[in-house]
Amino acid sequence: MSEFNIRSDSVNVEQIMKQIRARIREKRGVDYTEQQIRELAAVKLERFLDPQKVRSELLQQFREGGISPLPNYAFEDTTLFESHRAVLRFFRKLLRPVLKLLFNPNPLIHVLHLQADINTRHAQYTELSYEILHNLVLETTRLGIEVKNLKMRVESLSSRLDFSERRARALEGVVQYKAGDAPEAEAAPPAAGEAGPREAPREGGPAAGSPDARRKRRRRRGRRGGARGPEDAATAGPGGENAANAETNGDPEGEGHGDAVIGPESAEPDRREPEGDFAGTTGTLPWRDGDPDAGREES
Amino acid sequence: MRLGVVVQRYGADINGGAELHARYIAERLARHAEVEVLTTCARDYVTWRNELPPGPDTVNGIPVRRFRVRRPRDPERFGRRSRRVFHETHSVADELKWLEDEGPASPSLVSYLRSGETRWDYLLFFSYRYYHAYHGARVVPGRAVLVPTAERDPAAGVGLFGPLFRGVRALMYNSFEERALINGVSGNEDVPGVVVGVGSEVPARTEPERFRQRYGVNRRFAVYVGRIDENKGCKELFDFFLRYAAREPDPLQLVLCGHSILEIPDSPHVRHLGFVPDGDKFDAVAASELLVMPSYFESLSMVALEAWALGRPVLANGRCDVLKGQCLRSNAGLFYDSFEEFAEALGWLGRRREQARALGANGLEYYRRHYAWPVVEGKYLEMFNRLSSEGRAPRAGWPPEIPGYWDRRKATLPPAAYAVEKVPAGPALGSDQWTVASGQ
Repeated sequence: MSEFNIRSDSVNVEQIMKQIRARIREKRGVDYTEQQIRELAAVKLERFLDPQKVRSELLQQFREGGISPLPNYAFEDTTLFESHRAVLRFFRKLLRPVLKLLFNPNPLIHVLHLQADINTRHAQYTELSYEILHNLVLETTRLGIEVKNLKMRVESLSSRLDFSERRARALEGVVQYKAGDAPEAEAAPPAAGEAGPREAPREGGPAAGSPDARRKRRRRRGRRGGARGPEDAATAGPGGENAANAETNGDPEGEGHGDAVIGPESAEPDRREPEGDFAGTTGTLPWRDGDPDAGREES
Repeated sequence: MRLGVVVQRYGADINGGAELHARYIAERLARHAEVEVLTTCARDYVTWRNELPPGPDTVNGIPVRRFRVRRPRDPERFGRRSRRVFHETHSVADELKWLEDEGPASPSLVSYLRSGETRWDYLLFFSYRYYHAYHGARVVPGRAVLVPTAERDPAAGVGLFGPLFRGVRALMYNSFEERALINGVSGNEDVPGVVVGVGSEVPARTEPERFRQRYGVNRRFAVYVGRIDENKGCKELFDFFLRYAAREPDPLQLVLCGHSILEIPDSPHVRHLGFVPDGDKFDAVAASELLVMPSYFESLSMVALEAWALGRPVLANGRCDVLKGQCLRSNAGLFYDSFEEFAEALGWLGRRREQARALGANGLEYYRRHYAWPVVEGKYLEMFNRLSSEGRAPRAGWPPEIPGYWDRRKATLPPAAYAVEKVPAGPALGSDQWTVASGQ
């Protein structure tokens, strides 16, 4: 075989087929092969079809009860007079006119012929019904699996959407603050307890001004700033810069937020870089380090 | 060297797979030996009616001798016998009657072979499943070489054919899968055999643009060439393709070349061109992005080889062991087992043109290396030389005696389908050599 095979560096059919199958698995979300879907359809119907009270062994029962070949017969005009013995067949044929003198066998022949035809059609109909049922069950199974996957995707998407909405609201708030409220912010920095709705304590959580809340904020700040080191904190952008400034301005808890930065020199809003706009909100914008989890923690 | 080619039908306009194969081989071997074709007067493979005149004839310069078929096929009786032989415990007599009912039964052809045995050095019997192959090989036991063209269908498990596969002097297989199947049902590993296949008359130059203009095909397309028939997997192809076209933003078009006995879907994505001449067929393949081969049963697929010869990749039905094996060996085609795989593979070939071209290039290399005419002719000639060196003696146990009147009516043979099911399926990728018994 080795002589018969073509090897190529650029393409490899086996690898391509693996990639294709992997992609199908990704799309499906769950690694079900056709075979597995068939097995699921045959065995675990109740998982998918229970609400409709469809029996899981329905297909099996249908196959056994409906498809098992019922005895049928071929009935022709001559069937009544047939025999494997030629002599007997000859005499029956000879005496058939005499028999017809005694009674009329034609309606009997006609009815039996019709019945044989009905039996054949019934068998065909049963096979067709089985096929339809089988396909329906397969499709229902497939749809059930797809619905489950879609539900999972919807959940994932909605959580992402929530996060994005929060982020968008926060951004909008910052822009308004920069445009109109900057001088006010400069003149009267908000107290720690007046941080606005974003910093409102969670239900059942410690109050914003309480020692617990302060400890918690310190821990968070420690995680964000501390992980990067003081040098990074100084150079890493507005957040880090802000944190460093907060320390140098004698705010031991860093809750002066942007106040130290938005001093008289920076009263004019800086519109060059988007990050610059976040300067006044350090500590209230959870994603300042680009860590989406931080946002989740806040919420 | 004098060679006889024995085949069920023969003619320049007869394009069945095995028949075309036989014609190509006869015409090619005629360059190296005296070749005579022995065939029947039949033209239609369903009825086997005598349509061509009996006696000598010439087709493309090759002498042909035709013999009358005893009677046309009775489809109902043949169907009844097939059911019995394939699916029920049956007797030798049932199998003999099945073989005769299948047709084309031509006792005069067999008599001619018997009377003139020494006229030929070797006789190439095409298609193991027909009357002429079984009865013909019996009357020329030391000279019979079989080109089985076997597919994975229950006929391969019919009891009569086991001794035939073991009794002929040599077998010229079309594929490794075919060889594995025949080895599996008959245990004939010791019979000289070679995987050879057949070449094709692919033109040196094709004109894809001419095809596009002539048939008004403007989009990129996948092409199907052959009879459009449910048995060829076309119904499934239509279903899969329409679903693919519905979900793909820029789908390929499907262009169909061939007579149809199936309803063609009414869709802008499907074009049926009907029967096209050979030149247009090759231009169509050259203009296409790929060839689709949806058939479940193939012993070789000459169309796939032609696509590879023209540097086009193939998308094949993975449930056909032979096609799947060919795709893997050639590294020139993808295959599918389900709709998802079909859609993904077709999308892959449609989108990644560079890689698709690389697959096509592999196909061309595969064709040149194994199916170019000098290679195919060489394998035949090598086999004849080898057989000549071994003498003319028939193989032991061939031909077997047909049991007596009562014995051959005893229903002791298992269903043929069962014998085939026992043989492992799948592409034959385990072999290390491309010939086993010939020792190459």
